[in-house]
Amino acid sequence: MQDKSAAAREGFSDADRQLLRDSVRDFLASRWPSTQAVELSGDTKAIAAIWRDLSAQGLTSLGADPAQGGLREIALVFEELGRASCPVPLLGAVSANLAGLLLEETRQGKATLAAAYGAFDGDPAAGRVERNLDGTLEGRIAFVEGAAGATHFLVFTDAPAGGAIVSAGAPGLSVTETPGLAVPAFSELSFRDTPASFTELEAAAIADIALVARITCAARALGAAQRAFELTVEHAKVRRQFGQYIGQFQAIQHKLADCLMNVEGTRLAIEHAADARDRGVSEWRVFGSAALAFAAPALRQVSIQTHRALGAIGYAEEHEAPRHFRRVHADLARFGGAPRARAELADFVLGTGV
Amino acid sequence: MAALPAHDLGSSANAFRNEVRAWLAEHWTEERRAAHRRLPFKLRGWDPEFSRLLARQGWIGLGWPREYGGQGRSASEQIAFVEEMTNAGAPCQAHNCGESIVAHALFAHGNAAQKDEWLSAIRRGERFFALGYSEPEAGSDLAALRTRAVRDGEDWIVNGQKLWSTGGDKAEYVWLAVRTDTEVKKHAGISVLMVNLRSPGITIRPSMALYGKTFSAVFYDNVRVPAKNMVGPVNGGWKVITDALAAERIMIGGSRMAVIQRSFDHLTEYVKNATVGGKALKSDPVVRDRIGALAADIEVARSFLMRNVALVEQGRVPLHEAAISKVFSSELQERLGQAALDILGTGGLLSEDAPGAPLGEMEQVLRHSIMGMIGGGTNEIQRTLIALRGLGLPR
Repeated sequence: MQDKSAAAREGFSDADRQLLRDSVRDFLASRWPSTQAVELSGDTKAIAAIWRDLSAQGLTSLGADPAQGGLREIALVFEELGRASCPVPLLGAVSANLAGLLLEETRQGKATLAAAYGAFDGDPAAGRVERNLDGTLEGRIAFVEGAAGATHFLVFTDAPAGGAIVSAGAPGLSVTETPGLAVPAFSELSFRDTPASFTELEAAAIADIALVARITCAARALGAAQRAFELTVEHAKVRRQFGQYIGQFQAIQHKLADCLMNVEGTRLAIEHAADARDRGVSEWRVFGSAALAFAAPALRQVSIQTHRALGAIGYAEEHEAPRHFRRVHADLARFGGAPRARAELADFVLGTGV
Repeated sequence: MAALPAHDLGSSANAFRNEVRAWLAEHWTEERRAAHRRLPFKLRGWDPEFSRLLARQGWIGLGWPREYGGQGRSASEQIAFVEEMTNAGAPCQAHNCGESIVAHALFAHGNAAQKDEWLSAIRRGERFFALGYSEPEAGSDLAALRTRAVRDGEDWIVNGQKLWSTGGDKAEYVWLAVRTDTEVKKHAGISVLMVNLRSPGITIRPSMALYGKTFSAVFYDNVRVPAKNMVGPVNGGWKVITDALAAERIMIGGSRMAVIQRSFDHLTEYVKNATVGGKALKSDPVVRDRIGALAADIEVARSFLMRNVALVEQGRVPLHEAAISKVFSSELQERLGQAALDILGTGGLLSEDAPGAPLGEMEQVLRHSIMGMIGGGTNEIQRTLIALRGLGLPR
């Protein structure tokens, strides 16, 4: 396993990754400018349009072939999406690609897929779906992102373990938007005798796909937190109060120094976990739990502290900071959040509690 | 259930680690370890005989360039070495200051005669140093130092007082920062001297620091120092001092990281096996949450350290990166000590020589953490450095 992945990775150097980052950032800057990002995020047509353009860049097949990018590259792209507040439904596509359930229409940018992790979500209130004897689906799953414009859903089940593809218009399926801190909102899906095309998968493989989704969302939160932080550092260099730049006050300097520590610590931990996975190191899951356990409190602090340094200027919804605050908190509370990641680390170092 | 998986330092460092382990098994035997542990705590860690044993192996100066008699080993290999020495509880303090601070300053600023004489003496384990930086009125603001050196023929005459000199009561030499010009701006009037601590006019007054070892106040009363012992140009000492700091920080970080990991492993080993009120301690969800959080922080602290290593190996000098590593890991050590007190309860207060101590090292880990947050520039000074140099905020 290690040899195959190592060979597959030969194509990606740090320089390649920088190129990828630059190209995604440039693309989003022109197609999803920060001045319009909030407005566009509520427009399913705009999201469908940028999805088609992303497919032209080959990004919709991320996860399908390790040679075309591993978790390092997936995390990098999500960082940029978080930075630009661009809610393209890439998470579902990545999960499908990793599961080998890639839809050709998705790859071409014609279909969009929202993933419902259900029993593999990790949040105790996420719900689950069962397979009836006739192969239809039954149950409810909450906290599904990207459902609004989705043409298909990828629904994970645990008994038996597998992935089911459901059309958005399938009978017995209802989609209810559940507004909250996350923008765009999550949705709840309910299934009643809903037809689906089912593929059996190893439960462990689905668990890994869900872990990738968790790390991916943490990377997206990192991109959002870092962007808000950069705006704040620039603000501290030009905003004057009491006759001096606020960046000259040590109260601000030390706050922002702590933010840098939290941002860089999160990035290093995510990169280390992703790199370990891509190289086939079995402990990548432990490193992944560590990255998640660190990222949640660390990036939430960055978000809070940047708001405190920006003051009322950053509290207005027309400023960029609020959308990043939402993104950071929404992504880090998902999938059981930091408490689950800490519990996983305790399982590793202490053994299970019972 | 296990210790946290190690970061891969690469094949040459892994091979060197095995070499160091094998050497330790042969030379730092259980018998010697036990004898060292029987010493009062304040005497541990400083062992000239062990330093010379390492010297015979070429392991004082293992990271020095070959042209100075070193082994030219990479930062990864040095980290592996420091980890192994720390995990074995091997005493490396005697030669540490000379090897890491003095030698690096000599590489950049020493003259040929100084390099020839002093580097080889340090490398043989025959010349141990303490630092003479801080003073009563010059702590974080080191450049405000007042200890005076005035030229008199072939000597400098030194008068003044230094504080908090670790190893000042054991070393033979001090790496001394002095003021040689009072008329110029404070950074521009500083020079560095290597001073024999047995010189007439020196009074050394050790006091006990909270972590359980001594540091000393050193008084200089008309002390004669040969002019050839000045490193770098007269009044050019500030650069000599700051250049030497960068090299030192990473290895200190490596040793602190090893201490943190070892203490964490001991704590988790205890939690795995302890029973409290008839229940397994490891089933307590509060304890598990705390241990999980520490594990994540340890992983991040290691990542900061590894980034510094990578930067050094690329020929760059980590600046704000080294400060971040220092701040984060020293404060992590404090959190670890505090968590241990919460988990162990009153028993956590008992030291290693107390009968029935559940884990008699954690209270020392906590006391020691304060040094990490103060020494080598307080964490507040480090945060200012991160803000100014890492973020470019205005002064």
